[in-house]
Parts: sequence; C-alpha cells; structure tokens
Amino acid sequence: MAMKPSDSRWLDWINVVLLVLAGMIVMTPTAWMILSSFKPSYEVIAFPPKLIFTPVIENYVTLSKQTPFLSYGINSLIVTVGSTLFGLLLGAPAAFVASWTRITWPAVVALMARMAPGTLFLLPWYVMFRQVDMIGSYWALILTHAVITLPIVIWVLLPYFDNIPRSIFEAAQVDGCSPFRIFRRIALPLVSSGLAVSAILAFVFSWNFFLFSLVLSNSQTKTLIAASFNFIGEGSTNWGGLMAAATIIALPPLILAAIVQRWLISGLTLGAVKG
Amino acid sequence: MASITIRNLVKNYGGVTVIPGLDLEIADEEFIVLVGPSGCGKSTLLRVLAGLEAIDGGELMIGDRRVNEVPAAKRDIAMVFQDYALYPHMTVRQNMAFALEMRGTEPAEIASKIEEAARLLDIRPYLDRRPKALSGGQRQRVAMGRAIVRDPQVFLFDEPLSNLDAKLRGQVRAEIKMLSKKLKTTMVFVTHDQIEAMTMADRIVVMKAGIIQQVGTPEQVYENPANLFVASFIGSPSMNFLPVDVQADGLRLADGSLLPESLIARPSGGHDRLTLGIRPEHFELVQEGQGLAAEIELVEPLGSDTLVHVSAAGQEVIVRVSPDLRPQSGQRIWLSPAAGKAHLFDPETEIRIDGTGKAD
Repeated sequence: MAMKPSDSRWLDWINVVLLVLAGMIVMTPTAWMILSSFKPSYEVIAFPPKLIFTPVIENYVTLSKQTPFLSYGINSLIVTVGSTLFGLLLGAPAAFVASWTRITWPAVVALMARMAPGTLFLLPWYVMFRQVDMIGSYWALILTHAVITLPIVIWVLLPYFDNIPRSIFEAAQVDGCSPFRIFRRIALPLVSSGLAVSAILAFVFSWNFFLFSLVLSNSQTKTLIAASFNFIGEGSTNWGGLMAAATIIALPPLILAAIVQRWLISGLTLGAVKG
Repeated sequence: MASITIRNLVKNYGGVTVIPGLDLEIADEEFIVLVGPSGCGKSTLLRVLAGLEAIDGGELMIGDRRVNEVPAAKRDIAMVFQDYALYPHMTVRQNMAFALEMRGTEPAEIASKIEEAARLLDIRPYLDRRPKALSGGQRQRVAMGRAIVRDPQVFLFDEPLSNLDAKLRGQVRAEIKMLSKKLKTTMVFVTHDQIEAMTMADRIVVMKAGIIQQVGTPEQVYENPANLFVASFIGSPSMNFLPVDVQADGLRLADGSLLPESLIARPSGGHDRLTLGIRPEHFELVQEGQGLAAEIELVEPLGSDTLVHVSAAGQEVIVRVSPDLRPQSGQRIWLSPAAGKAHLFDPETEIRIDGTGKAD
C-alpha cells in the first residue's frame, strides 16, 4: 500500500528519536569516561555526578608520572600492528581460497575460536609459551592476538571475494595467471576497501583485548590496556587515573573509526546487501 | 592457429552426466558456432575447451597436443566472456597488456600489439579509461582486444553478444565475422541465438542434452535438418509441423486434404504416419478449393515481409508472405507447400526421412 507523505514524515521523526536514544545509550559511558578523566579524584565517584565542574589535568599528570605510559603504548602498538599484519597475511589468502573453493568450514572453525572465551586458551598457551621460553615476548602476544584478528579478517573479506564475478578470475586463468598471481594481481586490488575495513576492525579488537597480555606479557612488554589495571587496587581504585588511562587507550580506535566510518558501514553491510 | 579434435569427451557434474560422449573435429581457421537451448551443454563444452572445467573421459587435442591435463593458463587460447570479465581495477591498456605481461613479453612489443589491436577495434580513444567508464559495446570490443593481442591458437566466445541491445548486437555480430576473416584463427562461438549461429558460422553444431544433433554449414542445417529438434530450433519463426497419414496417392493431412506426390515424394518405407515439416516461407498461396484450407487469425507485418498466423488442419500454422498481399484477419486462404521444400520426419525417432523412407 502506498504511504502518504504525512505517514513518512512521522516515521522520519520516530527514526530520529530512536537514533538519538541509541546514540545516548552508546555514548554515555564514553562521555562519562572522558568527563571523569578531567575531574579531581574525589569528584569522580560523587553522587549525583556533576556535569558542570572545573576541569583539571591532574589525572593525566599522575598517569604520566606513575607509569611508563609511552612505552606501554609502544608495546600495544607493536602487538596490535603485528597481530593485525599477521591476521591479514594469513586471513586474506584464507578468505580467498574459501571463496574460490566454496569450502567455508575452516572459516567457521576460525570464527568458533574467536567466539570461545579467551580464558579457554590461557592455560594451554601459558604452558606452551613457557616451554619454549616465550612468556613476556612480543611474539607470544602477537601470535595469541591472531586468534582475535584472523577470524575478523577472514569473515570481513569473504563477502568481498564472493562479490567478485567468477568470470574475472577465469579470465585471469585463461590469460596465463597462476592461482597465486590471480590472488595478488586481481583479487587483492579488487578487495582493497575490504582489506582496509578488516585491518581497522582487527586493529581495534586487538588493541582493546587485555586478557592475553595480562598473563603472557611481562613488565617490559605489557600493553596499555593491561597496564591500566594497575589503577585498580584491592583496597582502593584510582578512578580518575583509570578514566584518564581509558580515555587515552580509547583514542586510537575512535580516531580510526571516525576516519573510515563510511568504508566501515559499506564494508560491514556488503555481504548482507549483495547476498 | 590450430585445429581442435574432440574424441568421446565426457563431462560429469557430481553424479550428473552433462556431456555423455562427444566427438567433433574443428578445422584450423574454422568459425564454429555451438548452438542450442539453455542446459544443452554448449557452454560446458566451451569451458572444457578453455580448461576451466576438467575432462572426465575422452580426449581433447588442440593442434597436435593432447590438452586433457593442461591447465587453462598453458593452453594458448583466448576467451571472451558473456559479461566480458574485464579487470575493473585496470585501464583498457592494462587489461590488454595483462596476458602478455604474464608471458614476459617485452614492453615495446606489448605496446605495439595493443596499438595494433586498438586500431583494428577502434578503441584507441578509450585506452586509458577504466572499464566502468565504457559502454556495453565498448567493453565488448575491449574484451575482444584483450583476446586479439595474445595472438592465440584458438578464440573462444561465450555468448558475448547477449548483454548488448538488439541494434548493437547486429553491428558487433558483423564486426566479429569480419574480424574472423582478418585474423584467420580458429574460433568457437557459443550462443543460444540461432540467428547469430546462422549469420556467423562456417559450420554450426546444434546441441541438445549434451549430444550433438547435427553439424553442418548454416545452409545444410537450415535446408536439411537432421531431426525434428534441429528443424524446430533453427529458423525463426520455427518450422511448422503437421501430422500426415501416408496413403497410396500421397500424404493426407488431418483436415482430409491430400498433398500429391508431385509436391512431396511419398516415402517407400513402412510408415503409416509421419510428421510433415514446412518452413513459414515455403508455403504458396493456391487457388480456392485446392491445397490446405486456412483461416487467418493474426497478421504481423514486419516491413520486408508479413507473418500470417492461420488456423489450418486443426492447428496454428505460421506463413511468411509478401507484404503486397495485404492479408486480413478472418480471411480464408488456401496453402500448399512449395515443391521439394517440405520435410518428413519419423514421429517416433524424430529423424528426418527422405522420399525413400530412409534417414538422410
């Protein structure tokens, strides 16, 4: 049945209200975190919370004095970039082969590994990496974080590869291309936006994952997110410092998401739209 | 440039046999058109020739070389796909250069081959454009250019005209035919359009359910169809089929009218009933009371000629007449097959039989 213009206007308004509500629900904790990081410690847990206050930077000063935040940041960067590259290096060919052969069960297995709770892996990994004397090494963290990045890369890229007409690959075959060359010269350039989306998602998830770093790193290789737990004590928690640390930690993923939001949306909906 | 020999070729998909054992000889520099309805195995055969599908039995030779196990990349064939399959991230020039780069051809030689093909196909102004900036016809030309620069032994075309509009299709059809004369390369062209088959082929291969029904020049296939399927598939509008009783003095139609032996030879075999096949253009209008009585139901003027749908001998028959006759709906006319132009088919085996009662 055709919709009257007045009906569609009402629907538009309902959409706007729902979006504002959803935005508030999603953004309130982030706003709380950022505002709290600029409050003096005693005001962070004050009830009711103050929206109007005099901002201070003491939490950030404490943070920079008490902890080697920069070196933790570099650790995070090494682990995250390393595991993202590792995920791309293995995940992109895996997704291509899964799409080419239409055999997707390995991708499902990878996804199941991602869905399993991280604690499931901790004990075997701890034992394994201790055996080979790798506890506290960057490699242990990079390899374990691949459990996060690899399924993301595979599942984001799979619909991108599926979306390329098969005849293009066949034309390349007839043109004399080996399967590896088809992947490198034809398939990869055609999924470049998918590569960007998967890289960013892998980066964000790896950056925010703290469990493996908590157990498998040492004081030299601890990542930012694991280090932020230093502010949670048994008797008292430095909420202001924790909020300042959280704000800094949240910045790279937020900036990345803002830069690529248009790609992200089209990339995440690609499989759904094109089927 | 090479001949193609196919001996007892078998192709299965899972448990389904798509081509149950096919033999075909394609001569060097020949333009062969594989034609048939959807699912007849023509595209599968082309993909087998290209090396995109494995062979389950039999032998495939390109020139003197057995290529059953040779991958597509090493068969030295070029293929134009139905959707053109141009590389979207490359310019026209890069699309055409790609196969040559894969072979390690010198850049100067690549440039000169692209220039030559671009001139031949009139695509020089588009060389630095990406495929998405081209029209359907231009993409089609680029796809051909990509095949031409390789100077392959065999060209394969998989319904390359089906995405073009009617006018452009006619134009490109003529261009491909001219190109085949210039290039002097073996070409295998797949289509479901019998007009494309008739206009382009040196020889037509008519297929149904993975089995070759007839191989012959367009004239042979049109004038002497091997069976009912070929007779109905080739020609537009399709051949008319009428059941007839074989009698001592000729062939009697369902309405009781008799076709004398002077018009069509009565087969000598022991047939009681046959299927008479007459093409729309092979009817003649005769005087009232003679031949087959027919009532005009619909008139389709095409300009150059007029198609008349009539009801005759209890069924619909299409007749092609001169537009000067100006037939009218409801008008009653009398028809007779032109002498020597009608065909007889065995209704059980569907094979065409000649006047002696034997299959041709």
